[in-house]
Amino acid sequence: MSPALASMKRAAEQPMEYAAEWKARTGRKVVGLLPMHFPGELAHAAGCLPVVLQDDTEPVTVGQANVFNFYCGLNRSLIDQTMRGKFDGLDAIMFGDHCVQLLGTADVIRAERPSLPILFNQLCTTLDANWALRETLGTFEQLWKELEDLTGHRISAEATTESIRLFNRSRAQMRRLYEMRRRGEVTISGRDMQTIVKSSMVMDRGEHVALMDKLYSTMPRRAVSSSDVTVYLSGHMCHAPKPQIIDAIEESGARVVNDDLYVGWRFIHADMDESLPPIEALAHWYLDKNRKMPCPTRTMQGVDWEAYLLSEVERSQARGLIVLMVKFCEPHMYFYPEIKEAFDKAGIPNLLIETEHEEIPMEALKTRIETFVEIAKRRADIKAA
Amino acid sequence: MGSLVMDNVVSMPGSRPVFGTGERANKLKSTRFGSKLVNDYWNGVFAAKEEGKKVVWYNGTYIPPFFHSHDLVWVHGEAWSAMLAARHQEVRAQARGDQRGYDRELCSYARTHIGQMLIEMDKARAEGGAALEDPRMEAMMKLPPPDMIVNAYPYCSSGQQWDDITYRVFGKKVPMFTIQIPLLWGGRSDAGYMQGEEWHQRSRYVADQLIELTRFLEANTGRKFDFDRLSDTMGYIKKAAELRLEGMEMCKARPAPASFFDWIVSIAPMSFLPGDQNIVDYFQGVKEEIAERVRVGEGAVKDEKYRLFFDGMMNWNKVGWLADKFAQVNACVVAGRYTHMSFWQEPQLIDLKDPILGMAQNYLVCPNNHGAPIMIGEIEKHCDNYEIDGVVCHASRTCRGMTNSQFLIAGSAKKYGRQAMFFEGDVADESFYKDELLNVRLEAMVEAMEAKRRAA
Ligand code: SF4
Ligand code: SF4
Repeated sequence: MSPALASMKRAAEQPMEYAAEWKARTGRKVVGLLPMHFPGELAHAAGCLPVVLQDDTEPVTVGQANVFNFYCGLNRSLIDQTMRGKFDGLDAIMFGDHCVQLLGTADVIRAERPSLPILFNQLCTTLDANWALRETLGTFEQLWKELEDLTGHRISAEATTESIRLFNRSRAQMRRLYEMRRRGEVTISGRDMQTIVKSSMVMDRGEHVALMDKLYSTMPRRAVSSSDVTVYLSGHMCHAPKPQIIDAIEESGARVVNDDLYVGWRFIHADMDESLPPIEALAHWYLDKNRKMPCPTRTMQGVDWEAYLLSEVERSQARGLIVLMVKFCEPHMYFYPEIKEAFDKAGIPNLLIETEHEEIPMEALKTRIETFVEIAKRRADIKAA
Repeated sequence: MGSLVMDNVVSMPGSRPVFGTGERANKLKSTRFGSKLVNDYWNGVFAAKEEGKKVVWYNGTYIPPFFHSHDLVWVHGEAWSAMLAARHQEVRAQARGDQRGYDRELCSYARTHIGQMLIEMDKARAEGGAALEDPRMEAMMKLPPPDMIVNAYPYCSSGQQWDDITYRVFGKKVPMFTIQIPLLWGGRSDAGYMQGEEWHQRSRYVADQLIELTRFLEANTGRKFDFDRLSDTMGYIKKAAELRLEGMEMCKARPAPASFFDWIVSIAPMSFLPGDQNIVDYFQGVKEEIAERVRVGEGAVKDEKYRLFFDGMMNWNKVGWLADKFAQVNACVVAGRYTHMSFWQEPQLIDLKDPILGMAQNYLVCPNNHGAPIMIGEIEKHCDNYEIDGVVCHASRTCRGMTNSQFLIAGSAKKYGRQAMFFEGDVADESFYKDELLNVRLEAMVEAMEAKRRAA
């Protein structure tokens, strides 16, 4: 593993330890960020380290006293981590998404850590409403004010545009890698791709950008094996699927060529317009990105997740779709049947894997994946013949 | 916001919980009038197309005054699911949803609603061989399909996504209007129940969207919205809401003359029935019966010994069953979050000359739309007001909208010297209900309340 990737891996696996070191080094504030659509740019412009809070690998233990077992793994883990003191290094949490489970989690965090400020500014969820822009501008103006109060410093428009520029650059770097993977120009495992995106969610962006530059300069350009069955990964809202699952997929003769995972393309697909006043850039970024990549948690007429997936699978020349669904994730459960119907109708092999925070019976899963890869391969062969 | 049924209480299967004293709940008689009103409402819905009326499907808060004032027929998705549950058709509907791949862990209200939509469409297709686009479909579906969809779901994202699916099931063609009723997080220093900057900002935000709603209705009917009629409609609703609150307040008496379950069956007139003289009469009748019971000392539960608060969404398959269950241990569930903190519970906010802001505010104060500290503060006020001994939390498996914060609610109850317990069930999926667990926990709670009393 290259040293750059190794540094990213450390941060991705131990984000709160990374944040603590950063804080000790800089003397500045660390702001936790809850998924999925809330931007980190403003906190960065305020001189803070925005850290997208991740689930961890610990089983949920003490957290059980504060969350039901029919909540998604991320929420259960976040509550557990709070109660284990994992987030005690945070100076604030900010978020604005409306997932009902996440709202409950935020309240538990407030009850457990009353002195931790929570900057909650709910984003407008009806993206095509005629009040959406006005409301979203107001949301980010309020956040701007609250971050100034938190840090005790003014946030300048120039600094914000600078942060936007940096984040754009960071996203573009990762997108380039995605494109190279899609075109088969590099061999990069799904696990490593996850490390790269996940570390960008938790690291100082400037540092991540520098690491990406290094990674590119040392990355071997080699053609990928053409015998692999190419697959597209979809779903897994708000947090990363366990890397073992991606390993199992790739060890079964499949190669991941693209995804719409949150810790993946969903996080990096859209940039902000650097030429706009920063508040407007933030608002348009938020309101427009659903058109580019539909999200089941937003309401917007005229966009279809399944249509997006069909076209992306085709563009990526993937032979099959693997849907990774977080158990108990309501938005995904609502939209999945239409995805399945669309893929069945189009004759594209598709497989649903439901994931849980706790250990997944890997042997049974491997068998399912192998069968799926076999089917996808056979279909691809028939099509080619 | 979940909904209500009147008939599911009266049409519960004959069996009842074998438990405790075997006593049954002493239900109010006056609520029977509600069953007639609900039946009339559904008959009106089924006749809508014949009468040439446009139909709005909606989910969420008590938004029908806007439809009523614009001569539309409205279908409340949750009420429809509840009606199916009352007629024991929910299992079939849920199975149809399951067949399409809607996971069992998804909001069972939504699953029932969507599943039944699919059944209706299957039927219409089989009978007429028609595709969804075929105009004959309309006549073939018992429930008139929507001309418009309006979603106004406070707090719960699942409620909003549910109607996104309704829109899709109907071919993504029906005009849909989605109102955001955002959470009152209560994080700013001036935040409090119905006060502070956030409260005022959010009230205005929702009110503005309601004005937009009237424009949406105008655009889709070609008729001007009549704000005077809205005021008239709200006049009845405000009066009915005041009577309801007066009736509730009388339940401070010991024994409590009416129970949470009576208020559960009284949700329909507040939530989705037309705002007219009937709902005023309904609550007048309820209030008079309660007053009479107070006068003669008649309780909703025989030999009331304990007074409980019910937290969580109703278990619609089990309303009568649960009412009896608590009666059998001489416990009266006097109040609940769902009944007492919702459904126009702040009628004084409604200015009949210009009702929109007050309506928006009533939508905002729905029982789960506050951050936990303010919401729990309100629960505690109710518990003090009604001298509550214990809090029963219904952990409704597929309704996170109402299970959020329940651990904090139980913790708060204990902090103030009350007992707290959980039982497992669901809004509309009976398979999640665990009767034995409820029996054991309820017995344990009764013992603890008894022990506390002895020690006092
Ligand atoms: S994964 Fe799904 S249920 Fe969990 S927080 Fe995200 S949207 Fe909500
Ligand atoms: S989960 Fe509960 S609150 Fe949310 S839509 Fe379903 S019944 Fe309503």
